Parts: sequence; C-alpha cells; structure tokens
Amino acid sequence: MENNNSKISVKQLRKSFGHLEVLKGMDVEITEGEVVCLIGPSGSGKSTFLRCLNALEKITAGTVVVDGYHLTDKKININKVRENIGMVFQHFNLFANLNVIDNIMLAPVELKKMTKEEARAKGMELLAMVGLAEKAEVFPSKLSGGQKQRVAIARALAMNPDIMLFDEPTSALDPEMVGEVLEVMKNLARNGMTMVVVTHEMGFAREVASRVIFMDEGVIVEEGTPQEVLLNPQQPRTIDFLNKVL
Amino acid sequence: MKEADAEVRLRHASSLKHRRERGLFMSFFELVRENGVYLVTAMGKTLELTFLSLVFAALIGLFFGLLNVSKNRALNVIANVYIDCIRGVPLIVLAFFVYFGVPMATGVRLDALVAGIISLSMNAGAYMAEIVRAGIQSIDKGQMEAARSLGLSYGTAMRKVVLPQAIRVMIPSIINQFIITLKDTSILSVIGFPELVKAGQIVIARNFETFKMWAIIAIMYLIVITTLSKIARALERKISYGK
Repeated sequence: MENNNSKISVKQLRKSFGHLEVLKGMDVEITEGEVVCLIGPSGSGKSTFLRCLNALEKITAGTVVVDGYHLTDKKININKVRENIGMVFQHFNLFANLNVIDNIMLAPVELKKMTKEEARAKGMELLAMVGLAEKAEVFPSKLSGGQKQRVAIARALAMNPDIMLFDEPTSALDPEMVGEVLEVMKNLARNGMTMVVVTHEMGFAREVASRVIFMDEGVIVEEGTPQEVLLNPQQPRTIDFLNKVL
Repeated sequence: MKEADAEVRLRHASSLKHRRERGLFMSFFELVRENGVYLVTAMGKTLELTFLSLVFAALIGLFFGLLNVSKNRALNVIANVYIDCIRGVPLIVLAFFVYFGVPMATGVRLDALVAGIISLSMNAGAYMAEIVRAGIQSIDKGQMEAARSLGLSYGTAMRKVVLPQAIRVMIPSIINQFIITLKDTSILSVIGFPELVKAGQIVIARNFETFKMWAIIAIMYLIVITTLSKIARALERKISYGK
C-alpha cells in the first residue's frame, strides 16, 4: 500500500491529444495538507495535468491514484471520486441559470449529501467565509470576476472535498481583483486543505506553496520548496522562465 | 360519362355567368358571416394539429438532439440518419406514406388526424433535433465541466445546468419552427384532414368565390401567426433571467 498520507499519486502519466503528446510521463506524489504550485510556460501541460487528476481529461497511459481510487480503473465510479475533489476554473464556470446560493447548493442537494436546509446553511456559511453573504440571491452575470471566482471556490467547498484543484484561478481577473481571490486561497491553505494550484502568481507560490513544480513541454523540469525553485533554480529552463516572468 | 362531365361543366359555367350577371357574388362581409364559424372551427383544428405535433416534435427533437451531442459515435450516427432521412423527404410524401402507404402494408387504417400528427411531428422533430443540438452546443463547455467536477452525472448536469440555458437560446428557433409547422399543416389537406386549407377548398367548391375566399384564409393565417409570434416573443422576454 501507498503511504497513508498520500492524497495523489501519479506515475508515468501520459496524455495525448491525437498525435500531440502533451504529458510525457509525469511522476508526482502529493501528501495530505500539501499546497503544490505548478508553474511553467503556457502549453507546457500544467492545466492538462491538473485536469487528469479528476479525470476531466481521459488518461492516455500511466496511473493516477486519488484518495486511494485508481482513476484508470474502469470499474470505479468517477462521480464518487469527484465528490471529494473540488475544482476551480480559470473562467469561473458558475452556472449561469442559477443564482449564487443555488450554484452552491446544486451538487450537495442533487447528490443527496445534504438536505436543502443543510445545504443552504452550509452555503451561507461559505459565502460569509469568502465575504459574499449579501450576494446569495444574485445571478452570476451581476458579479465581478473576483466575486465570481470566490463564489466558485465556495461552490467547490460545499461538497466538503479533501482536495482542491485550481486551474489558473486568477488569470482571467482584473489585477485589482487578484488579491481577494488569493486571500481566500491562502486561508484554505492555512486550514490544511490539500491543494494543487496551476498559477502564474509567483508571489502566491512563494508565500503559500509547500512545493513548487516547474513544468515544460510535458515533463517536470524541477521541483522543490519555493526557496529552492523560485529563488535558487538549478535548471537553465527554469532560470530562463523565471527571468521572463519575474 | 363524357356527356355527364360536359353537362356539369356547362352548368358550372352558366351558374358563374348567371351569378355575375345578377350581381350575386357575395361581399367579404357576407362570406365571413356565412362561413366564419366553419372556417374558425377549421382554424381550431389546424392549431390542434400544430400544438399536438409540436409537443411530439419537441420530444423527438430532444431525443435525437441529445443523441447527436453525445460522445458515443453510434448514437451520433443514429441521430444523423434520422435527421437526414426526414429532411430529405418532402412532407407531402411523408404524409402520403403514413396515411396511404402504411395502412396498405399493415392493414391498420389511421385516422387523418393521427396520420397528420405522425407526419408533422416526425418532420418537425428532425428540425427540432437540429435546434436542440445547436442550442446545447452554444453553451460553454465549462458549464458541463464544472458540473461534472462536482460529481454530478452527465444526465444531471445536462438536466440541471446545460439544458435550462440551452432552451433559452433555442426559443427563437422554436418559435420559428412553430410557425413553419403551423403553415405546414396546410399540406395535410391532401390526406383530407379538415384543417383550414381543406375547409377553404370545400367552401369554394360550393360558392366559387375563389379570390375572396383565399384572401380570407390568407388573412386568417396571418392574424393567427402574427399574434402567436408576438405572444411567444413576450414569453421569451419574460423567462430571460438575471440579465
């Protein structure tokens, strides 16, 4: 058996779109409470890697074990696995046909995790946590980008996941709204949530990450603590990338 | 036989001449008064046929539209075969096939209303399937992904998130299809269903008021279709949310 604390175990993960191989054999182990930041140039496969962790992308080869479930095993119920993995998207993807509180309540109620009353109470609690309690009855189209993303985080948390995936959560935001979203994420990290974050926010990575992984062209080039990777990179490709973004 | 035919034609002609000479042609008003109830009843039947057909067409369209957007190739093919077959056959041929052809082969005689509903809903169903497909495909993929990432099944995500948004996009096309189907009911006059065109033909066979009668019927269609599309548009505005 794997390490008891192992939340995510990826071995020789490969992913191709047609003839294009995007992930060329990745090995990653993530333990409970870790905050792992994935950085790298666009097209390096960061988002694809993240999307393989909850099987939004079909895995071409290799194994991904999340919470003890082998995602490549055809017999597992992928929906059950996903209940434990929250995901936050670059473009928020709030349900446009539902108001804020209904966005949050939909999954817990539909999946019979909670009664409507419990889900509403939980939803209000989460909205208060992200500072948007007064927006419960508002439709997503009325919210700013930063507010949308905070609601999206609350929606993912409503299922009580023990892993959270963030796919460039601040990339589509106006600069002045980045801070409010990162603040919510820092809080989550402080409370021990296991997080995998694809990001371009080097400040966030330096401050919050327990580990930084630099990816390029579908492979891990370098990984380590933020100090090691961001402040004292060893690989020429990492140095080159950091010089461009910092 | 031929003599009898000639005699009928002669009587017809002399009666027209007779009427014209004596000024016996009726005014619009008289025609409406005389045939109004009959024509309105026929319009009622036309609407009944349209509504029933569209309900079934919506179900057929939803079914094949969902098959079409599925990731399963076999299901896509089934949907496309249906859509192509129906779109490749004129409605009048389909109606003849259902009303005359199928009973001949099976021995089951269909009521003209039933045959009409079957033909029209099969026909409109194919177009509805395309409307459903386009509606679903117009919704950002992120909506489905976000729903799936929370653990919702494909079906639940479709039902609770994607379809409610897609329907809103589809409404103008559905209204359009509604109007097309309403007009297409006239084709079913060929199988003897007493909708508005058939009723008009029956009245004209009696009073020979070809010009005025077709004008009256055209106006009736115009009024009903314009009113319905106005109502539908108001409805469309009402159900738009959060904007």
